[in-house]
Amino acid sequence: MIGPVGRALVWYEFIERVRDRWVIVISVLFAGLASAVSLYGKSAGGNAATLAGPSLVTLASLFIPLVALVLSHDAIVGERERNTLGLLLSLPVGRFEVVAAKFLGRGLALVLSIALGLGAAIAVAGGEQAGVLAKLLVPTLLLGLVFLSLGVLVSSLTSRTVVAASTVIVLWFGLVFFYDLLLLALLVITDGDIGVDTIAHLVEGNPTGLYRLEMMERLAGGKSLETLGGQAELPTPLRTGITWLTWIVVSLLLSGWALARRQVAR
Amino acid sequence: MNSIVLRDISVRFGNVDALRGVTVELRRGEVVMMVGPNGAGKSTLTRVLLGLIQPTAGSLVVDGRAATVDNTFKRELGYLPEAVAFSDNLSGRQVLRFFARARGIGRREVDAALARVSLSAAAQRAVRGYSKGMRQRLGLAVAILAQPPLLILDEPTGGLDGEGVALLASLIEEWRTAGRMVLLSSHHLDVLEQQVDRMVVLRQGKLIAAGTPRQLRERVALRHQVTFALTSSHGASHDDYAAALGQFGPVTTQTDQMTVEVLPERMLEVTSIHPRFPGLVTGLAVEPPSLEMVYRRLLAEETQP
Repeated sequence: MIGPVGRALVWYEFIERVRDRWVIVISVLFAGLASAVSLYGKSAGGNAATLAGPSLVTLASLFIPLVALVLSHDAIVGERERNTLGLLLSLPVGRFEVVAAKFLGRGLALVLSIALGLGAAIAVAGGEQAGVLAKLLVPTLLLGLVFLSLGVLVSSLTSRTVVAASTVIVLWFGLVFFYDLLLLALLVITDGDIGVDTIAHLVEGNPTGLYRLEMMERLAGGKSLETLGGQAELPTPLRTGITWLTWIVVSLLLSGWALARRQVAR
Repeated sequence: MNSIVLRDISVRFGNVDALRGVTVELRRGEVVMMVGPNGAGKSTLTRVLLGLIQPTAGSLVVDGRAATVDNTFKRELGYLPEAVAFSDNLSGRQVLRFFARARGIGRREVDAALARVSLSAAAQRAVRGYSKGMRQRLGLAVAILAQPPLLILDEPTGGLDGEGVALLASLIEEWRTAGRMVLLSSHHLDVLEQQVDRMVVLRQGKLIAAGTPRQLRERVALRHQVTFALTSSHGASHDDYAAALGQFGPVTTQTDQMTVEVLPERMLEVTSIHPRFPGLVTGLAVEPPSLEMVYRRLLAEETQP
């Protein structure tokens, strides 16, 4: 699927992104905060699964979508504004391949950023607790990749970087903050008549919600909802994996489709 | 590739006809310049050739056969977009290395392209620190990197200083001499006049004229400037000579020379007055109307009711 142009583009995107000052700033900030949380958990002497772990999940669910969206929001529209999209597409490369290569290149930069941030937190925790915190790695990477693909999609659909940046900020607020509030409002409006399974599915439908559910499963075990009085079951690893993958693949396919049907008039 | 024809190309964006049945032909060893005011359709036509815009009608013919802008075709072309801005985070060499990797080209060619556009000394510097002209040279280096048979340059003079324009002219000449093709669009005909083999004049998406500079000059029949160098010690009055020249067109007088603007068909007649002024004229220079003037006349003819 990825030819010579695509492979070159993956590397180019990776190098270009890791040198971006905003990406550096936000990654360093995440690493600093993650380390601080881990250090606090260690000094409090608590179990990482009940103290540092959940705090890191909350931190990651706020920061990682933001890092990913900052990394990806200008993937296509930035090229268009710099007048390099035409130059890029004048190379022997397909438009879907361009989208895939941009996602992979920026994805590598995101993986590096997350690995450094969580790596720092894990290193600070040390010992047995490090093993507990290490459980965060894969779901956090997947959360980041989903938001990265959403950023690429926004970038393919917009005509100006400033519009793409505003859109991803709205998306971030919507999925990270307001989505849960909306579900809460839905429960209140329906006076609790809405089924628990429906609410659970709606939570799973949001990548951030899915991430929190999965981390609950990984840190506290499958019965954690029951302990809290919940009646719904946590999603199985297979279902979770399929949901993550669906978000990424659908977003990238839509990006490729948007780029393919678009006339590159500038 | 020996020839490329964009035949009867029409492009419509919503309710706007960006191109209306335009045909442009490129031949091996030729430099074709597209000119026209903003919105004439130059960039749109270029983008059709690059496969960036799908025409609503028309076809591409390569070496006499119907063709499409596929990856095989794209491998044959090099492109310089208008006002290109590469990533500020990378060095000039890194930008070029990307395009080299993408085209399967080695480091030697990267160094050669950088040297060709006089950017070797700045190759390691971040593009952020490049001047506008240096960025344009980097764009040129990207375009020529693979030594493509077809070079497409959209407003290539943008940001270039005198030295840069001379470099561009020499590159275009190099492509022509090597039997390759160049398609360029520009607002500035004067600076690349010597390099142009054929001109295509567009206005509001329509082709209004096409041909060699000579053909277009003949078509508009603008006056040539004929300048005579004169001896100052000659007995005959310069005023008499000026009066004699005046029958052919407006005359401009300076201390030791006179310039008369003559229609092409009366060029030979001008010299017929000289037996009346023996020894007065010591030299003669003929300057045809510039392509810029020809272009302006063509546009003016088109806009006249």
